Amino acid sequence: MEQLLARPEMQSAVIPFLVGLAVAASLRKITAGAWIWALFAAFLCSALLINGATLTPLTGTRKIILLALGACLLAGLAAPLLSAVYLQRQAATGVVILAMLWIFWAVIARRDPTSVAIFTGGALALILFTAWGLDRCREHESRLHAAGLGLMLGTGLCATLGSSALLGQLALALAAGCGGLFLAWVLLPGRSGGERVHGRPLAILPYLMPAATIGLAAVTFARLPWYALVPLAAIPLATSLLPFRSESRFLAALVGSLPGLIIAGATAFWVWHAGSSGASGY
Amino acid sequence: MKKSAILASVALLPLGTLQANDYTIDPTHTYVSFAINHLGFSTMRGKFDQQSGSLKYDPASKTAEVHIEIDAASIDTGFEKRDQHLRSPDFLNAVENPTITFKSTDATWNGDQVATVTGNLTILGVSKPVTLKVNAVNCGEHPFNKKQVCGFDAEGSIKRSDFGVNYGIPNIGEIMDLQIEVEAVRG
Repeated sequence: MEQLLARPEMQSAVIPFLVGLAVAASLRKITAGAWIWALFAAFLCSALLINGATLTPLTGTRKIILLALGACLLAGLAAPLLSAVYLQRQAATGVVILAMLWIFWAVIARRDPTSVAIFTGGALALILFTAWGLDRCREHESRLHAAGLGLMLGTGLCATLGSSALLGQLALALAAGCGGLFLAWVLLPGRSGGERVHGRPLAILPYLMPAATIGLAAVTFARLPWYALVPLAAIPLATSLLPFRSESRFLAALVGSLPGLIIAGATAFWVWHAGSSGASGY
Repeated sequence: MKKSAILASVALLPLGTLQANDYTIDPTHTYVSFAINHLGFSTMRGKFDQQSGSLKYDPASKTAEVHIEIDAASIDTGFEKRDQHLRSPDFLNAVENPTITFKSTDATWNGDQVATVTGNLTILGVSKPVTLKVNAVNCGEHPFNKKQVCGFDAEGSIKRSDFGVNYGIPNIGEIMDLQIEVEAVRG
């Protein structure tokens, strides 16, 4: 059993998918925020398998794990309570920016002012662009999950190709969890009034936080080229612009996911072709 | 004049004696290497290419202190893609924690030969006590530059999980064997 659970495909695909599906299916009639708890549970299971239960030393990767879980908690608990939309919007991006400082401060402090300016400016631009795209997807739950799926899948593939299988696994686990909850959304009716959760700005946090932190960590701590993050950041925008609407949940999920999956795959191929591949099979 | 010269020499003598056993590690003749089990198939070996530090060694006063700083990003296993992976957050996280250090705290002696050196090894910011068995110590005058040189071979092993380097356990071994060869030059 231990050998089975140590396999990366179990840790980052099968288990988070099943957990995401099970939790979303179980909670969909109880709470409109079922998808947030599904993502939380899926990622928690994967993080425990990949990283173990220890948080020491508190490396950048462990901070990312804590922040991803914290983002789900914040979105799940605060989004229904905080009615002021503008406050939620500022809180969502503000929390991610603070997270960046927490993760990368030790690295920033060692760099010269020009490097710091470039790094922080670039990170801020990517965070705001991604947040804007995800914000546009809030209109409908399926768009938000479609964008999240593509974003996490692309981030995971690129991080792995950037020589960090660990960061890649964490992002892919979120993609798998998203896949599970998305399937539950397709197959099962949920509690009405869901727009009070996915319609609130804080709802973008469970996707924005890990995408931003893992992506930037893969660039800073591993060898992912920075330009790979640009098309990934555009996935939510591309998903929101798709001129397709359907009453069928299956079609909405399938077609809605296409832009994200195509961009994710193309970016990963680009990174692989550019020679940044690593962390596999040696 | 003669009296003041003698007094000056005596005044300088203690300072000279204090520095007599201080050595600087010669990075071009120092090798910090390791071995670890790979997927149960074979032993993978690697080394670090950049290190620096100091050594204090005096058998007469039973003094043996060593301080080594290793550049984590200089890891070399003979395959660049794997080295990139080892530098990543999966293992050494060399960008966030660029330096691995070993600072000795104690030494045991076997007659006039140092037998073990115990010190704090710091990886990923985590410090744990590690004891190295010293297999050989040789000191003498370098045949070419005439400087006093001391060299020693030491070995030990660690559990990488003690330092938070958990990725890949048990597929990639948890126990890491260390082999360290040091040359240090006095003056």
